[in-house]
Amino acid sequence: MRRSLLLFFTPFIIFTWIFFGISQKGCDSVMQADAAKKIPFNHQSHVEKYGISDCTTCHGYEENGRFKGLPTIAECTTCHARDGVLTSDDQSIPRKKPMFDSYKDTDQPWESFAKQPDLVYFSHSVVMTAKYDDGRLKARCGSCHGDKADSTGTKMIKGKMLMGQCMDCHTALNLSNKCAVCHD
Amino acid sequence: MKEKVKEVKMKRRWGMAIDLDKCTGCGKCSVACNQENNMPIFEDDSDVPKRVAFLELMKVTNDRDAKFPDVKTAYLPKMCQMCEGNDPKNPNPPCVSVCPAVATDVGDDGVVSQIWSRCIGCRYCQTACPYEARVFNWWKPEYEGSFKKSLSTDVSVASRGTVVKCTFCSHIWKRERDAATAKGILDINAVLYTPACAGTCPTGAIVFGDLNDHDSEVYKLTQTDRAVRLTNPVDDVKDADKKKSLLKAKQFTNPKVYYLTSQQWLRDMMRFKKNS
Repeated sequence: MRRSLLLFFTPFIIFTWIFFGISQKGCDSVMQADAAKKIPFNHQSHVEKYGISDCTTCHGYEENGRFKGLPTIAECTTCHARDGVLTSDDQSIPRKKPMFDSYKDTDQPWESFAKQPDLVYFSHSVVMTAKYDDGRLKARCGSCHGDKADSTGTKMIKGKMLMGQCMDCHTALNLSNKCAVCHD
Repeated sequence: MKEKVKEVKMKRRWGMAIDLDKCTGCGKCSVACNQENNMPIFEDDSDVPKRVAFLELMKVTNDRDAKFPDVKTAYLPKMCQMCEGNDPKNPNPPCVSVCPAVATDVGDDGVVSQIWSRCIGCRYCQTACPYEARVFNWWKPEYEGSFKKSLSTDVSVASRGTVVKCTFCSHIWKRERDAATAKGILDINAVLYTPACAGTCPTGAIVFGDLNDHDSEVYKLTQTDRAVRLTNPVDDVKDADKKKSLLKAKQFTNPKVYYLTSQQWLRDMMRFKKNS
């Protein structure tokens, strides 16, 4: 009896499992959970060894307040000059990186893990400038992106950013959770 | 230790005043709205059930059979009227309560939002709307040639089978807020914006602003005798006590879009009164 019941439900179980697999995969591809990172990048060494402590040095803002996101090759080559030295004993001189040669200045060879769907209007500048009464920031880069500054690779460390994470923060900070705050 | 976080309240209540005496019916507001909100292009825009447009420019005449000296015409740009119900502090538009998917909601600034990606296409809200301000996407949105590349990135394209409507260009408010924070203005209530239709109107017939701010142009316009709201019978009641009891007894839409006109026939028509 029990065996026949199991046989009866097997197709349903398999179907559900495949269905969840496909929807998970679709969700991942929309949110770019496996984004291409063609050039390796070591956040830790840039931050700790070479003293770039401000994230906005590379991930800055446009003049109208929109977040630039990933830097372009032009921003990398401002330090790693295209006609610079390949090797040097002096640690403070940024070397020339031959891997930039095949890219134009406007290229962005990385894709973002944190890509949000089209219906989300996320404003980095508003979230990053929100302050408590005593002047502390309400959110830091790490609260959503994880400890990216201490990472040595380009792996995703905090997972996909789902709406629940945004709403949890908004609830905890007594901010408005109305749909139109982020969605369009 | 539980920290006390100060709540930032939105004080704005966005509203609109449209001067029908100034409106020439050029249709620029409609074009600007379609472009700003990524509306699809159809072969035949006169095909009303197929067309998707937030702002409909209606031509109104006093009588269909009227002959030359008696015929009167006016143009009426009709978008979502942003109903707030009887109590502005606790807005209750007819479309919000019927939505089974919480796709439509009232924001803190009184704007009735619609998230088309969340919409399941049941069209209850379209039935509930007394102004026919909501439209349903019957067909897949299509764009000619390379038009798709020029779409606004701030607004998502509504897919087939969803209900869409005007949201007072709330993405422009978000954009303006970004620009304000870049300049160091962190107060949420300091951000002002203009929707596409109001910004493009060549005669200045459409005025947009904050109804809570009693110095704003739109508030002053709504307080004049010319102001009339579309089919909101409670506006006709002059007696204050009677008005109060009416508001207690029944829900009214109380739209935040005001029309200004001095022509009596048009005022009567907008209140569904018989032509005098």
